[in-house]
Amino acid sequence: MSRYLLMRFLLMFPTLLGVAVVIFVLIRVIPGDVVELRLAGDRGAVSEQVLNQERARFGLDKPVWQQFATWMWGLLRFDFGTSMWTGAPIGQEIKLRFALSFQVAVMATIVAVLLAIPLGVIAALKQDTWVDYTVRIFSIAGLACPSFWLGIVFILTLLVVFKWLPPMVYTPLWVNPWQNLQQLIWPALAVGYRYSAVATRMTRSAMLEVLREDYIRTARAKGLWQSLILSRHALKNAMLPVLTVIAVEFAFLIGGLVVTEQVFNLNGIGLLFVQAVAHRDYTLIQALTMLVAGFFIVVNFLMDIAYAWLDPRIRYR
Amino acid sequence: MGALLEVESLTTEFVTRGGVVRAVDGVSWDVKEGETVALVGESGCGKSVSALSVMRLVAGPEGRIVAGRVVFKGRDLLALSDEEMRRIRGREITMIFQEPMTSLNPVLSIGRQLTEGLEIHLAMTPRAARRRAAELLTTVGIPDPERRLAQYPHQFSGGMRQRMMIAMALACDPSLILADEPTTALDVTIQAQILELMKDLSRRLGVAMLIITHNLGVVARYADRVNVMYAGRIVERATARELYANPRHPYTLGLLHSVPRLDEPRRARLAPIEGQPPDLTRLPAGCAFAPRCAFSVERCARERPGLVPVGAGGHVSACWEATRLGRAPAMR
Repeated sequence: MSRYLLMRFLLMFPTLLGVAVVIFVLIRVIPGDVVELRLAGDRGAVSEQVLNQERARFGLDKPVWQQFATWMWGLLRFDFGTSMWTGAPIGQEIKLRFALSFQVAVMATIVAVLLAIPLGVIAALKQDTWVDYTVRIFSIAGLACPSFWLGIVFILTLLVVFKWLPPMVYTPLWVNPWQNLQQLIWPALAVGYRYSAVATRMTRSAMLEVLREDYIRTARAKGLWQSLILSRHALKNAMLPVLTVIAVEFAFLIGGLVVTEQVFNLNGIGLLFVQAVAHRDYTLIQALTMLVAGFFIVVNFLMDIAYAWLDPRIRYR
Repeated sequence: MGALLEVESLTTEFVTRGGVVRAVDGVSWDVKEGETVALVGESGCGKSVSALSVMRLVAGPEGRIVAGRVVFKGRDLLALSDEEMRRIRGREITMIFQEPMTSLNPVLSIGRQLTEGLEIHLAMTPRAARRRAAELLTTVGIPDPERRLAQYPHQFSGGMRQRMMIAMALACDPSLILADEPTTALDVTIQAQILELMKDLSRRLGVAMLIITHNLGVVARYADRVNVMYAGRIVERATARELYANPRHPYTLGLLHSVPRLDEPRRARLAPIEGQPPDLTRLPAGCAFAPRCAFSVERCARERPGLVPVGAGGHVSACWEATRLGRAPAMR
């Protein structure tokens, strides 16, 4: 068990290094850089010499390997540097936005799990009845409408029917939880519903498969209560594939909610990412990429732990 | 001794794409207290479905019991509510399944799977159940029970898992164990160990047993009485001794011929039963075995024979030519 987890833990580092190399090279391949975009908005007004001076200020004139080494050295000390576009320290730029995106991701995941697991289980138990069909339509609908569209529907409904508009300015959870939840519950619902669709289907099919297993028949033959058969014998086995889906989606939510963030006027990681790329803000792009990749990897690692906890065959390998 | 379990005209059907399959077709048999009865036949003859029907565990909605009575200790199990039936399962009647590899839950510890029945049926405290579970493992010959209880099925060998299944079946002191091909998935050496264990335990604890098998060798050694099934019906019933000495159905004869014997010269060829078991969706009007039968006469294809007495000790056979078979020279 501990060896398994140690291996998984150690594997995180080469993965992160790989991500660092790839993103570092890729953004430098895209034509144009931050200096050009900032100064040469109207071509020719700024001389080549000034541009080069600016580049030197960011260290962009140095050989690529040297730039990479400088960046790595900073990363090792958790120093992400300053944004090339705004000049602000990147840590500060990201902090609040990450808190926001993380909170939306967590809330959406809670919404999704609360929807998906009960619905999936019920659909499996009532396979091919109207209950099953209703659940399936509900989840297909979730896949079919984009969450930003759902978001618009939510806002319009609140506005037109309830004459109420959720707060449009972000308040951190630790400042005013009530205000914060009033704003973030809507994107969490919109995203969580869509996200639940895949998880519902996964729960349903995993349950259907598990319910046909011999050990479920054994459990029945033992005269256990139906509820115990489901919760103890079936669900624990069925959760393995569902967990994978949930974890992958959860990790995606951190950086992937670009449009939904726009709809709800949220200043999250997704929006920041798009802006950073548009500005060729190398340091910010690199920092965000490492953040999102690191998040993915940590979530994966946690999932491995959860796997081991759920399945003794992994635990004792 | 009185009958513990009486199955009367039990009929179980499955709805399939090819039509309705009558897996068990008006079958009657019984098990007396403390007795070991065998249900013998080829794959697909309805023997497992018979046992599952007794437990009311036939997989719905495709499969359902359409007729008959299953009287256990004077109560018709088919008339009980689901909750009443649940209290009988695992408590009064327990089951051992064929596949020890897949019949235990891979993510629950041996201890958990062994104690849950005790906690539910006998209202034991977790601690008392744990103590009883350790005793049970010792009873079925698993050493070091304390350590074993904390382990998981994948850490057990096939034979050990089947011992564990037996321990589970014995847990609540049942009066009847239904063993569905309990040794088919095991190595031959382990098979003998498991069967000896079951025989020993059933005798010591006075538990009645129904052994479902396709192996007549198993029957000879462990069963008191034998029901031979073919195409969803019982074709012959006798005490094990009588069945061997005086088989009165061509199908039984065929089964006996297809068992290898150590007391015959090596050169002797096994005589398999020619042909395939019939398609249960399209059974012939007459005897279902007639197309494969060496003794069949014209009447067999037309009329289905019923079970009629042919010998001592309740020996019955469903064959028009049963008397001719009796006069035939001894089979070996």
